[in-house]
Amino acid sequence: MGPFKDLMASWYRAWFTFCLAYLISSLPLLAQEERAPSTDRASSSIIPSMVDDVPSVQSDHWAEWLDLKGQEYWGVAPDACDDLLLARRLYLDLLGRVPSVSEVRDYLDLPTASRRKTLIHQLVFHEGSRSQDNARGFAEHWARQWRHTMVPQGMQGFAGTGELEAYLAKQFRDRVPFDRMMFPLIEMKDTARDGSYFRLSQSNPATYAANVSRVMLGVRMECAQCHDHPFTDWKQEDFWGLAAFYSDLGPMAAGGTVSVRAGEIENEGKKYVAKYLWSESGKGKADPSRVRFASWVTSSSNRQFASVAANRLWQQLVGRGVFRAVDDLDTASSEQRQLLDELASKFASAKFPTQTLIAAICKSRWYQAVSNDVPDAASSQANNEVRIEQVDEVAKRARQPFARPTKTLTPEQVFDSLEQALMLPISRLDPGSARWTGDRMQLISRLSESAGKTPEEYAAGVPQALMMMNGKMTSDAIGLENSRLLRATLESPFMSQKDRLETLCLATLSRNLTQGELSHFTEYINNKPNDEAKKRAHGEILWALVNSPEFVLCR
Amino acid sequence: MLHMFSRREMMRIALGAAGGASLSGWLPQVARAAIAAKSAKACILLWMPGGPSQLETLDPKPGRPNGGPTGAISTSVDGIQISENLLKVAGLMKDLTLIRSMSTGEGDHGRATQLMLTGYKPTGAPIEYPVLGSLVANRLYRESSELPSFVSIAPFRFGDLGSGFLGPKFAPLVVSGSSNDPNTRANLTVENLSPIGGDFKKMAERASLLDIIRQGSSKVVSATKHSEVYQQAMRMVESQGGGAFRLEEESEALRDAYGRNRFGQGCLLARRLVERGVPFVEVALPDAGNGGTWDTHTDNFKTVTNMCNVLDPAWSTLIKDLKDRGLYESTLVVWMGEFGRTPKINASTGRDHHPEGWSVALGGAGTKTGQVIGSTGKDGTEVDRPVSTSKLFATILKALDIDPSLSNPAGDRPIPMVDDHAQPIAEIVA
Repeated sequence: MGPFKDLMASWYRAWFTFCLAYLISSLPLLAQEERAPSTDRASSSIIPSMVDDVPSVQSDHWAEWLDLKGQEYWGVAPDACDDLLLARRLYLDLLGRVPSVSEVRDYLDLPTASRRKTLIHQLVFHEGSRSQDNARGFAEHWARQWRHTMVPQGMQGFAGTGELEAYLAKQFRDRVPFDRMMFPLIEMKDTARDGSYFRLSQSNPATYAANVSRVMLGVRMECAQCHDHPFTDWKQEDFWGLAAFYSDLGPMAAGGTVSVRAGEIENEGKKYVAKYLWSESGKGKADPSRVRFASWVTSSSNRQFASVAANRLWQQLVGRGVFRAVDDLDTASSEQRQLLDELASKFASAKFPTQTLIAAICKSRWYQAVSNDVPDAASSQANNEVRIEQVDEVAKRARQPFARPTKTLTPEQVFDSLEQALMLPISRLDPGSARWTGDRMQLISRLSESAGKTPEEYAAGVPQALMMMNGKMTSDAIGLENSRLLRATLESPFMSQKDRLETLCLATLSRNLTQGELSHFTEYINNKPNDEAKKRAHGEILWALVNSPEFVLCR
Repeated sequence: MLHMFSRREMMRIALGAAGGASLSGWLPQVARAAIAAKSAKACILLWMPGGPSQLETLDPKPGRPNGGPTGAISTSVDGIQISENLLKVAGLMKDLTLIRSMSTGEGDHGRATQLMLTGYKPTGAPIEYPVLGSLVANRLYRESSELPSFVSIAPFRFGDLGSGFLGPKFAPLVVSGSSNDPNTRANLTVENLSPIGGDFKKMAERASLLDIIRQGSSKVVSATKHSEVYQQAMRMVESQGGGAFRLEEESEALRDAYGRNRFGQGCLLARRLVERGVPFVEVALPDAGNGGTWDTHTDNFKTVTNMCNVLDPAWSTLIKDLKDRGLYESTLVVWMGEFGRTPKINASTGRDHHPEGWSVALGGAGTKTGQVIGSTGKDGTEVDRPVSTSKLFATILKALDIDPSLSNPAGDRPIPMVDDHAQPIAEIVA
């Protein structure tokens, strides 16, 4: 035990010194003003596509195209957000966590004109420094994002989603094109492989067909399971025709029987044969082969597949889909999907390079715009005894206005951001590593009990608030005994009072303090009777920072 | 959103300038608001996941082949008999209405749970229907209460159901009961209710520091929701839930009468919550602590008796306790599961799922009681006067003075609280 203890102590010392160095090195930035957003890109002309197969170059072209086409479609883009906010957005959207103090510093050290693009290249294409960490963070974060889409809360039952995440992370790490990533899931050669997605759908052909249809084709036909769809044209035979592709794979829930043969399924005494939802002749073609079905779904000539993917990526990054109902793209009018379809056709003809499309969206004015939240009429009326009129048909078909809503962090983003901000150790060997002690699981499962269904929805309730207020992670974070961030900040001899407060704010909210905040916090600390109380007061301020709406939201 | 204070007051508290923030000075309005809450109606749902057998509880068939070995007993209402498993409840029949002809059509646990808790059949439609507790909370909530308007003492349920499109404000606050050991105190608490370090003065300081950061944050919907929820959570911390969770304040005799188990003490907690103005409390009885559940595919008779040994004292004491305190007139107590059990006894001495002709009981809140609605014939196989889930929902809402014909907005679609324009049962609510 003795030598081990010594080892740990020296390890702690090393870590502490490292943290300290980290923070001190970030001091110059605290004095820096937020810089004006770059404006140089708009003036650059479209270069001939000589090097168009280089992803970063191709994404430039697509971004320019998005700026132009978007302006035709939506009108003039809103103003650009500031550089610090953009960094927070990019780290949260691309790596799933807030940036560290030193990452922000490095970013602000880059030339003003190109820093945004450079950061996007670092995080999406893993160019430059920290490339290995960025590559891993990117793959893990995007795997989780798609897992949230593919296995919505409540669907998974008792099965874990680890295998599916591992499958998706590998695809993102290897930069597998989007169609190739989805193909094995549709073909479903072996239910134990490729993330066991089939098993996460209760091993039920009907549930699985509904998932494939929703996730990949943007068509929700669950209603047609029991009756013909009330709003669109889907019929029971369409739904069961999809389910029939998987009829040989698993047991059925009550009401149907499994056919041993793939391609045929029985429901309530009626037999259905496997058939596509549509084909060139307009009618769904009957064909039991799952390989051909997977080819049909992911084909570049199936515009629904590419448009759904582009719309989902747009939603994940910008906060709301170009067409808002991402799961129901079949209900979009041709006017509503015009921009999306054009973008999707670029995506498909380039053979579905996911990273390129992600970078293009991030580089566009639309992603970089200030958020433009409008009050949600429905939620403010929830308590009034109103009978809302159905929105009239014309308005339903018109193109939807551009929206850049404030997003809510996912449970995993909250944990990873806390881990980053609080400088928690991540080594499995470290007993203080929240990632491995069960603290992570506890926090994420509590937050997942009430998580939003879309990026913009804030759904956390009282139990979630109580955990953030009084839970173990927060308790550790604000106590001088356990908090690395506080100790590194307070024990640094080179920091002024102002520097300390600015560091706490930058580590958590990725921004500088306002004048008002700075003076209130300073007064709060100065009123404390002695040094010990003054130090502890920093912990209370840190509590307020991580419990502020800003910490769990991304403007 | 702690706008009940002036900024100056906040800073005074934060800075401790006036000699330290006192607890009562932290959230002064709260204590007053909670006292005024007694007049409005409330509902306690005794939720029986698994599907209790009606034949061994409220609709016995003594002497018939389907009836099994369990006997029937007379009740305090002439002509109404129930199972001998519910001796204490039988004495309170004047305070109850039995509906013996529930006809709901869903025989799968998950689907039937969704139907009975939301009032809507699962269709896979892209609408997340709120559960009954959220529907009621949405109509009866009190803005300044120390407690959320929907508390669930329900450690287990089939499916992922909650406030749906009504949002987090009406989501249940789940109280965990980790111990079911009758020899120890049932551990019914809300996690993380104590401020860090148990220091309420520090908590007040944190609240005011948070308010300073919030001044600058944008007024978007999500930030407002965050603030509303935090406000509610802080009120709970400050008042420790109005002291509702201090069951030790009750007499030993009363606690014994409820039963020293999770469900019994949960019913006592439900009464304390209703007393403090919570409009909807759900208490679940998923198991009797010895492995048995209501899902009695095997060994039905012994298992239901075991379950009733927990249910009978808790349910009957709850009604008596509410009556003693004058709360039964305003509190509806509903007993139900997701379906009943087959009249036919299977080869494993069990009964299977049965959604046609099963029983629900309710009473209080000014409803007419001492009566039976519907029947299932001599052998439990017929259904006279079938009652749908929608009709039951309409009756419950009406009993709580909520107009069942109202709708709630789900995005741009109005969703009626009650499906199929169902009307309340006239014999229960006028």
